[in-house]
Amino acid sequence: MSVEKSEGSTILIWLTALAFLIGMAAIFIYVPTEQMEGAVQRIMYFHIPAAWLAFFSFFIVFACSILFLWKKEREWDIYALASAEIGVIFCSLVLITGPIWARPIWGAWWVWDARLTSTLILWLIYVSYLMLRYQTDVGSMRARFAAVLGIVGFLDIPFIHFSVLWWRTFHPPPKMISPEGLGAGMDPSMVTTLMLSLGAFTLLYFVLMGQRIKVERMKDEVERLKKDYLYSN
Amino acid sequence: MDNLEYLFAANVFVWGGIFYYLLRIKKYQQSLQNDLDLIKEAVEKGAQK
Repeated sequence: MSVEKSEGSTILIWLTALAFLIGMAAIFIYVPTEQMEGAVQRIMYFHIPAAWLAFFSFFIVFACSILFLWKKEREWDIYALASAEIGVIFCSLVLITGPIWARPIWGAWWVWDARLTSTLILWLIYVSYLMLRYQTDVGSMRARFAAVLGIVGFLDIPFIHFSVLWWRTFHPPPKMISPEGLGAGMDPSMVTTLMLSLGAFTLLYFVLMGQRIKVERMKDEVERLKKDYLYSN
Repeated sequence: MDNLEYLFAANVFVWGGIFYYLLRIKKYQQSLQNDLDLIKEAVEKGAQK
């Protein structure tokens, strides 16, 4: 088994690169500078897609963990692990870009409000999930414990989403998904730019998933060959 | 009110994070490929004996 790029994955990589090129042009050239916040508002075109990707990744962990516990097939376990890693990377980016935006706007890097604290908790849950996974041998009880953690961790996401509506928070209320409608109250150019950025980040998720799944399958193959040929002699 | 340094810092972290993860996957892939090649070599040697 060697690492070969299929035609489909090559097309996906190029499509993602193109989507990012268009997205960056929209962020830095097309969309006008926001009057109140200035150039720093452009961070939102990274922050919101990173948050979307983190939530989407953790939803995949949630769904695949249920399927793993139900069907006991390693394949679902691989998908859950790959998605959890990507989710943690993008959740980290949310927790980094948020404070960078907040410093000039709020005058503070961090405030312990419901949205920020619940996002930090989500990050901690999935970091623990990965720590548990890195110690896990295939088929052991720990893989099942990690799956349970992957399911329970996802329950924090609706809490994060509604936290800005249930409590008075520093964090701005959702702009894209609001009760007034999709992207209501936003300039159409901002909605377009955000959609382009969301599209590019979503494509990136599938590129990263493809690569990570390939690696995990390779790891299984190495383990199997070691067991079959080396340790048996 | 531009605060371009904040926008720059956010960009560095986003792209740095993405490329760090891609490099990590690539490195892991390479180390597994080396393992696979070693195993293949060992199996072939074993078969010749």
